Amino acid sequence: MGEALNGEPAGTEINRTGKRALLIFAHPVPESFSAALHDATREALGKGGWHVDDCDLNAEGFDPILSTQERRGYHDLETNTQPVKCYVDRLRAANALVFVYPVWNFGYPAILKGFFDRVFLPGVSFKLVNGKVAPNLNHIKKMAVVTTYGGTRLSATLAGDPPRAHMTRSVRYITRGAPMEYLALYDMNRASDQKRASFLHTVTQTMERF
Amino acid sequence: MKALIVYCHPSEGSFNHAVLETVKTELNAVGAEHRTIDLYGENFQPVLTLEDWTEYEDTNCNTARITGHVDLLTWCDSLIFVYPTWWFGLPAILKGWLDRVLVPGVAFSMPTKECPRISHNFLHIKNLAVFTTCGASFWFTKFVGSPGKRMLMRGLRSCLNRRARMIFAAHYQMDSSTPETRAKHLTRVSQKMRRLTGKRTLPPGRPAFADGVSDTINDTMGEPA
Repeated sequence: MGEALNGEPAGTEINRTGKRALLIFAHPVPESFSAALHDATREALGKGGWHVDDCDLNAEGFDPILSTQERRGYHDLETNTQPVKCYVDRLRAANALVFVYPVWNFGYPAILKGFFDRVFLPGVSFKLVNGKVAPNLNHIKKMAVVTTYGGTRLSATLAGDPPRAHMTRSVRYITRGAPMEYLALYDMNRASDQKRASFLHTVTQTMERF
Repeated sequence: MKALIVYCHPSEGSFNHAVLETVKTELNAVGAEHRTIDLYGENFQPVLTLEDWTEYEDTNCNTARITGHVDLLTWCDSLIFVYPTWWFGLPAILKGWLDRVLVPGVAFSMPTKECPRISHNFLHIKNLAVFTTCGASFWFTKFVGSPGKRMLMRGLRSCLNRRARMIFAAHYQMDSSTPETRAKHLTRVSQKMRRLTGKRTLPPGRPAFADGVSDTINDTMGEPA
């Protein structure tokens, strides 16, 4: 279950020198605004001198379900990375992480949540020291999140803004507090063309400086 | 009471399965009707596809591939979740269930010119219970902001009846749990379930549910669990 992962990219050998960004994108529709943000982010990172490993989870057919066998072997550091080895290699090769996704139902799309469940394994993104979680993504020096919310900032905040909380606290914790840009467009359901264009411009500028 | 249990765990002999059995026992004890959706058991496909997205806002056909689950959501008056917390959130298969099943026309209606705000459609759901297990401690989960709990207890809750009763119980630090802590947690689950299924008296002057649906369970405002 879930072992057959396609989309093995070229150059997955561990190379922590230089500027290598793993760009994780999660949206099924190529003509969506999220896809436009994804394109803008990739191009801006390229302009900024980053080598971008573009990981489009939907296009690569990533299976987000942690299977029974994976759950059983979750803490076995020898074998737990086998089912998702190519994704683990890509994560280990990067020194920056960039996420582009829409917020659905106050959370990540399931395919991105599954990426955390299956790839951010013990021995990869964290380690257990005396039963306590210690950071292990020490090679990640920078992070960025580009996202859109259907609801307003107020409604997201009243719900505790779960994806923002997870990114800025949990994910930052396992990278030992690497600096993170969090770029969010709220109230997408009612956003005008002008508002979207302005956000796209902000994303481009920020990611060129990244 | 008509309860829909959404259960999610990949292993049959898991502690979450024991929680599920406890929940069912308590429902049976009061003669409540209940149905269970076992997401791993039925191999639920959690990824919202291009096709799903294209039809997302078309209320004539956006439920075509999830009819059974939508029927259960329309039938129930209580929603109970039993799942393990992974990465402070819902397992992907459960998050995908929310993505695919809570579509416009089912859980909510999109803003229109006449009604510029999202309107919510689950007014017949008057109880929400969430039972989970967390690897992290209570305080670390708090520090991260309890994203999984908030997604359901605040995000999903906003689609439910305004006076829906809320119940939450979590066993923290599962990796260092002992038979005693697990037994204690199952007792807590039972107690919480009795609060959910038990008859309660309303404070004087407080009307029953505004939508006029009769119910033997007269709940007060959702109290923090």
